[in-house]
Parts: sequence; C-alpha cells; structure tokens
Amino acid sequence: MTEPTILEWIQNTWLSQAIREGGLPYPVIGGLHLLSIALFGGMLLFTDLRLLGWAMRDRKVSEVMLQLRPWKWLGFVVVTVTGILLMWSEPIRLYHSPSFWVKMVFFALVGLHALAFRPAVYRDPARLDSQITGQAKLAAALSMILWAGLIVCGRLIAFDASFDQ
Amino acid sequence: MLNSFLHWLVNSPWSHWINAYEWIFPAIQSVHFIGFAVLIGSIAIVDLRLLGFGMRRQSPAELAADLKRWTLLGVAMMLCTGFLMFSTDAITYHNNPSFQFKMTCLMVALVFHFTIHRRAVRPGAGPVGAKLAAGASLLLWTTVLMAGRMIAFV
Repeated sequence: MTEPTILEWIQNTWLSQAIREGGLPYPVIGGLHLLSIALFGGMLLFTDLRLLGWAMRDRKVSEVMLQLRPWKWLGFVVVTVTGILLMWSEPIRLYHSPSFWVKMVFFALVGLHALAFRPAVYRDPARLDSQITGQAKLAAALSMILWAGLIVCGRLIAFDASFDQ
Repeated sequence: MLNSFLHWLVNSPWSHWINAYEWIFPAIQSVHFIGFAVLIGSIAIVDLRLLGFGMRRQSPAELAADLKRWTLLGVAMMLCTGFLMFSTDAITYHNNPSFQFKMTCLMVALVFHFTIHRRAVRPGAGPVGAKLAAGASLLLWTTVLMAGRMIAFV
C-alpha cells in the first residue's frame, strides 16, 4: 500500500523529525495528550453524568454545565493540538493504521453530535434545570460512548500501527 | 520473596488470559485511561474550586461530597486495571525506573488525598492552606500520569 506523497513531505519536515527522533518530545507530547484526556474527559464525563442524573444531583444542571465548560474547552484544545503534533510526527505509520481511521470516524461523529444536539441541549442549559429532557440524556449517553470510542481507538493505534510496514 | 511473588503474578491465570489475546491488553489500558478521567476529573473539579478557578457557586465541601464516590470509583478502576497490566510483565515493570517513580508518587498522592487534601476541603479550612493543597494535589496527579506515560519510554 502506497501513501500520498504529502505524508512523506510531512514526515520529512523539521517538526516531524524533531518530535519523532528527539527523545523527550514524543513522550512529553503523549503525556500532555493523556493529561488533556483527563481534563477534557473528566469535565465531559461529569457534565454527562449530571445530565443523566448520576452525579452532582444537588447542583443545578446549568451550573454544572456552564462552570465546567471553560475547562472542558481548554482540555479539548490541548488534546487536539497535541493530537495533531503526534499525527505530524508519524503520518505514514498512521495512514496504515486501521484504528487511526476508525478514530477519525469517531472524531467526525463528535462534530455531528455537537451540531445535532447544540440547539436543544447545549446552547441553553438553564432550560434543563426544571426537567432534563430525553434528548439531553441521549446526548449525554452518546457523548460518553463517542469519547470512550476515541480512547479505545487511540490506544489500539499503538498496537496495530506496525502491521503493513 | 518479592521475586517469587513477581514470578507468581506473571504466571497467574489472569496474566495468561490477558496474554492469550492481543486485544485484551489495550482494552484494559483503555479502561485505565477512562479511569483517570473519572479520578483526575473528579479531583480537579474540587481543586479548581479551591483555587477559585471554577464552580464558585458551590463550596469546596459540597463539591467534595458530590464527587467523593466518583473519586473512589476512579481509584478502584485505576488500581484494578493497573494491577492486571502489572501482572502481565511484573518483573520488567518492577525494574523500570519510571514505574518505580510513578508508584512512589502514587503512594504520596493517595496518602495526601485522604489526609491533607480531605482537611483542606472542610468548611473553615484556611484559604491559603487550601490553595496550596489544591495546587499540590493537581501537581501530584499530573506527575503520576506523566510518569505513567514514561514507563513505555524509559
């Protein structure tokens, strides 16, 4: 299987080589990626658990959602930036990794999830304070499943990425 | 004594089971990762509140009470999955400097969490002490996580 030449170009950039061969940068970026999984995932998880009525039940839904949101976004930015750096460091290996492509599908589904549920659930959480709608619970459950899917695929990349080499 | 325990772990039925299928180890690792979102997420919400960075409409004591059971669930998930992963290659892990460092930090983090940190979230705790405890807590858990990542590299 041959890969698009742009991947070879990326792999030969200074940044790609520096991350891949520098010793410390790769594990440090990987560590930050994991740390932001804890931050982004933690905030996402407790938002979802609140929507499902499983955690922080004595707090208003809107208070939990709105107050965790800035930290969730910070986590999302760090996880995305470090993820792009990790991709940049070994694009050819990832191109041949089935788990990587499944992960990208999950990533696209995360975008669709946001588009589908923003109007009814995320835009105005105060509406959910009196009653948590079925749609909000569905959004929460799907959000957790998608996030767990991203983690599992991410982990599997380390195990199947070397197949076609 | 320790060596025979490590050998026993490596040859335990669960180690054989995990090693028998390629997908089990990454599956356990995934649960380990989800576990640290539960663990560090629940602790970070309280710590950020102690530092004055979020959830300001609730008191630290209220948040800590809300999240205590989730922190314990996170600890349980981490210890169970961590133990299973350790079992599969106990001798190698035992000799790995990053692993040794991580375990030391983990012990400190756990003791800290259930002693000093617990006191810092109580109503009437001094604000400066509480902030220091929150900062130390975030730093400790971050170190545990980063050291965990380094196990594969050192």
